[in-house]
Amino acid sequence: MTMTNDGTAVEQIEALQTGHAQIWGRLGQCGTWWSGSDRVDAIAEGRQALCCDLCRVRSEALSPMMVLGQHDAVSNLPDSAVDLIHRLTTDPGRLSKDWASQIINVITEEAYVELVTVICIQYVIDSFNRCLGLPLRELPLAGGGTPNRIRPEGVGDVGAWVSQGLDKSLANVSRAASLVPETETLWRELVQMHYSRGPEFADLVWNRALSRPQVELLASTVSSLNECFY
Amino acid sequence: MLRASSEAVNTEVNIDRLEAGAQIDNGNLLVRYAESAVRGDSDLVRVREELRAAVGTAGLVEAAATVSAFEGLNRLADATGIQLDAGLADESADFRAALGLDAYSGATSTQSQGTPNRAPDVMGIFR
Repeated sequence: MTMTNDGTAVEQIEALQTGHAQIWGRLGQCGTWWSGSDRVDAIAEGRQALCCDLCRVRSEALSPMMVLGQHDAVSNLPDSAVDLIHRLTTDPGRLSKDWASQIINVITEEAYVELVTVICIQYVIDSFNRCLGLPLRELPLAGGGTPNRIRPEGVGDVGAWVSQGLDKSLANVSRAASLVPETETLWRELVQMHYSRGPEFADLVWNRALSRPQVELLASTVSSLNECFY
Repeated sequence: MLRASSEAVNTEVNIDRLEAGAQIDNGNLLVRYAESAVRGDSDLVRVREELRAAVGTAGLVEAAATVSAFEGLNRLADATGIQLDAGLADESADFRAALGLDAYSGATSTQSQGTPNRAPDVMGIFR
């Protein structure tokens, strides 16, 4: 993208790029349930999903489960993890509880949520660059260390497919990744810088380059295209 | 949020015509940009420049930030099977069926259909 002399835009994009760089680096660090190299592999797998033949055929099928086959994987992650990453990336509107339960039975629900959150963060950052015609970031460096696999206190069944924080002071979407608080922190920082921006979220009138109705129209359109019920 | 924020600035929004821009300023162009970006269409470069001409570079960056954020938010919501918050179920009860949203796969995650009711503020929607 060619930038203009619009100072506000330059500051805005620089702030986002700086924030992305910080989050991207931390995304490659050791997580609670996956190692740093696993998480970097997952990011590479998320990008690979966009050119996977199986994903392409499945996305065109009446039901994704009608089409059997192997993903065009680029990592040594477990098959269940690869399937999670590819389907989350290419066909998110047709995920099912049964499918998620099968994945969770293999990799655990904590590992499931961490992987989902890593891929969602990667997707947001990559999507932003694609939206503006900017090159994608290089894969983050993989940090060392061993996952401590500690499940947080205060999580349980609140009616979702996975355990979440029991405190309902947050919107359900805001506590969706609360099973993996360290990775969730990265997610929340990203959503704050892109959309909600602290207490401003509660204001129906925004003083941004786009009005709140314009922003919400974009949000509604994306959610409709992705067939997201929430 | 689209309806509530439009009402706050005394704008009449037509959520039945989302694909046409819902009567929002530059709505048609914003929708075309979101569609092109999400689908990875070949006309993204052209639509992006049209949008920049209409809303400025800062507006374009805001649009990119929003589109990308919801690409992630949608995926997180769908993969974790979260239910609609009670306030959100009530707020959307009067238009979900009409817009076909109840046919989405994720609708099966929510047990309560809600009762048509408007929340007093943003946080009330997510109660």
